[in-house]
Amino acid sequence: MSERFDSTVTTTCGYCGVGCRLEAHVAGGRVAAISPALDGPANAGHTCLKGRFAHQFSRHRARLTSPLIRTDGELRPATWEEALERIVNELTRIKDAHGPDAIAGLASSRATNEDCYAMQRLMRAAVGTNNIDNCSRVCHSPTSFALRKSLGLSGATGTFADFDHADATILIGANPTEGHPVVGARIKQATLRGMQLVTIDPRRIELADYGVLHLSPRPGTNAAVMLGLAHVVLRDGLLDHDFIRTRTQGFEVVEALLADYDPDEVERIAGIPAGDLETAAHIYGEAERASVSWGLGVTEHRYGSEVAQLICNLALMTGNLGRPGAALLPLRGQNNVQGSSDMGALPDTYTAYRSVTDEDVAQSFEAAWGVALSRKVGMKIPEMFDAAVAGSLKAMYIFGEDVAQTDPDTAHVQHALESLEFLVVQEIFENETTRFADVVLPASAFLEKRGTFTNAERRIQLVEPAIEPPGDARTDFDIIATVSRALGHDFGWQDPEDAMREIAALTPHFAGVTYARLGRAGLCWPVAPDGTDAPILYEREFELPGGRARFAALPYREPGDHVDEEFPLILVTGRRLQHYNAGTMTRRTGNVELNDRDVLEIHPDDAARLWISDGDVVSVRSRVGRTEVHAHVTERIERGNVFTTFHFPETGTNLLIGQSADVNTSCPEYKVVAVDVRPIGEQAAKTPALGLVGTG
Amino acid sequence: MSVHVTIDGRAVEVADGATLLDAARAAGRWVPTLCFDPRQAPFGACRVCLVGVEGSAVPLPACTTPCREGMEVRTEDPTARRVATAVVELVLSELPEPPAAHTELAGIARALEVGEPRWPGATHAVVHEDDHPYLAFRHELCISCGRCVRACDEVQGTFALTAVGRGFDANVAAGIEEGFRHSACVSCGACADTCPTEAIAEMSLLDLASS
Repeated sequence: MSERFDSTVTTTCGYCGVGCRLEAHVAGGRVAAISPALDGPANAGHTCLKGRFAHQFSRHRARLTSPLIRTDGELRPATWEEALERIVNELTRIKDAHGPDAIAGLASSRATNEDCYAMQRLMRAAVGTNNIDNCSRVCHSPTSFALRKSLGLSGATGTFADFDHADATILIGANPTEGHPVVGARIKQATLRGMQLVTIDPRRIELADYGVLHLSPRPGTNAAVMLGLAHVVLRDGLLDHDFIRTRTQGFEVVEALLADYDPDEVERIAGIPAGDLETAAHIYGEAERASVSWGLGVTEHRYGSEVAQLICNLALMTGNLGRPGAALLPLRGQNNVQGSSDMGALPDTYTAYRSVTDEDVAQSFEAAWGVALSRKVGMKIPEMFDAAVAGSLKAMYIFGEDVAQTDPDTAHVQHALESLEFLVVQEIFENETTRFADVVLPASAFLEKRGTFTNAERRIQLVEPAIEPPGDARTDFDIIATVSRALGHDFGWQDPEDAMREIAALTPHFAGVTYARLGRAGLCWPVAPDGTDAPILYEREFELPGGRARFAALPYREPGDHVDEEFPLILVTGRRLQHYNAGTMTRRTGNVELNDRDVLEIHPDDAARLWISDGDVVSVRSRVGRTEVHAHVTERIERGNVFTTFHFPETGTNLLIGQSADVNTSCPEYKVVAVDVRPIGEQAAKTPALGLVGTG
Repeated sequence: MSVHVTIDGRAVEVADGATLLDAARAAGRWVPTLCFDPRQAPFGACRVCLVGVEGSAVPLPACTTPCREGMEVRTEDPTARRVATAVVELVLSELPEPPAAHTELAGIARALEVGEPRWPGATHAVVHEDDHPYLAFRHELCISCGRCVRACDEVQGTFALTAVGRGFDANVAAGIEEGFRHSACVSCGACADTCPTEAIAEMSLLDLASS
């Protein structure tokens, strides 16, 4: 095969948290083809249409190839020197006038660990603030919170291999055959070999057809479902008493709470048949090895972090942790959601989730970086937007996240971006967010950079450049290091490997990580100084005081939004196979030939009642916004619910999402929004004025 | 549990359940294969991986024969090689044009020193399907090895591809002859990845080859 190509580079996929290892074949300076690496631990010689085919975006004519600076209201091409000068002048002016906490930065869950580590060091050491966050805020921050609270470490307790070993798996709030296709394929194969799969989702996802039971709870009632499952496990004697006695604490309180959640009560709350709940509990509770896997359908709720804790409860009650096939496997969304947070691109923690208020930790970073560091916890992403609107946040440096398309309550986000005095955006394409930028820095796609990604298995894997950045674009790592140097703080690194050496030196969980040891198979953190990694966590003890896991006694509470006469349907948002998140990359590939628009899924009964036919353009209005989209009439969605995606900016899906968010992590409630749907033109549009929405 | 076998005079120890092909590869010996893909369950259809086994009157397919204690295997057994070479030559004789040099089939033909097929006669009709942005059918190159169908079933789990036709007309189709685009295909490309002849090919690589 090789004679057709100039070179072939083994790297890690930049789409989704599965972490497929890929062979990128290059001809004439372009990626000609991508094939899966046979020895990839997560993909074993398979990949999906995004990883394999959707690479043409890397040489799309719209790629940013030079810096842009806003002059007289217009973004115009500029040199790197001009762009850097503008950044240094503005950030210095704002810092001098308002202090470092008037500046905030966002790292990207699509970027490498080294990029994210550099970004948090830039904000902390060069600017002097903990106002650093990343887009895992709006997806899996509740998972991270819950796993740390209940078990100790912020990551899956096992690997995807657990699907191969499990006798039963509960899949809740995830649609892997579209969002994580290679894991979806692996789950399919497991079911074909006899694994009992229970799917829990308001949509009848493809994997429901491969499972033994599908439950469709009302959106926002996951907590009641998990409490109901635990109730039946307790009532019917499916507990692992030894495990509870020797390895956990706090079960008594949970036991008392569970009395309130008998199957009939859960049927009343969640709308799932009591008998089905009992069956599901027995499938999970009676299995020798049982796993639970989940996605954003669990986390993106007002009580998402609590539901994730209730999932931990269920695993602890049945002793389904620390063994092959008995795991908790959150499906992290973007390729480096795990790593961007591990790297300390969070307002409250340094690397490996160590608090910025921990004096010993802070001093270790001060000694390494040679500067004094703030002990004040910084702002989370939604707080940054609120502060920008309120006028206390003056500047942002946003790297690799299109907040104006993907964050909730678009009108509020736009208002925030408009309110800033200075906005730097580091991107590969112009997007909804660059429209508000004062300086745009042309950056690199994953096929153009070196570093590491950490997948949903906690597996740190090497990323190698197949091609060069186009034009004057540079790698994100170079850009951030250059900006930091211009601001007077020199990282002192030559390349990303130097950054990883520093991470390893300052982070016990990464102590044994070197590029040489990562090799072709990667390492699952924590990695001991001798290089021993940890595919399975908690084999003997939990990473909490006394080595014991903690049960969480949390009741069901209602979601942040609810149907009423004016807004009688519940909107759930999610993803489709052909597109990735905001679509920045996949919309610029042949994937648009396979899927060229967002559609609103609606049940035939609701469609008939509303006089909507398949393909009609419909108006969708929520309490905060309105948009128009094509209807797709399908029985995949339950009556009373509608579903759409946010892959195309023209849809403006996130105009509809309000400010309700997870109580512990501020992760937005993308999954429960009351809406009114009707054929277009039936009623005059009621569009709330932009800029006034959600500011109260 | 492990099993001990001898491959071309070299002793190797393999796990219980390993095949002769696994053992040969563990011993660093080359055995030609055509319908085999390590991502799929052994299929044993093509008879290209035949090897000689002491005590067996006929050559045995290495990909589906489990190792048993004490087996003595000859990878270059003359009968086995003669049959494998004839199989490849017959396969090639059905194609209207030789497979592209980079394909697996072309590589095996080179390695087995199969020249121009000695059997002229009917060749597969040229039928192309180009309705998909990434995947193309070149039906005339299909040798019915079943790898694409099994990739779709055993690796992806979508069951979009089907073996169709009989005998000389045996071929592969997406769905009920609906094409990739209108079948259940999820465009993962596992079929093109495993195809040894480019009967299913990546559109961009066909473009690359013709440019």
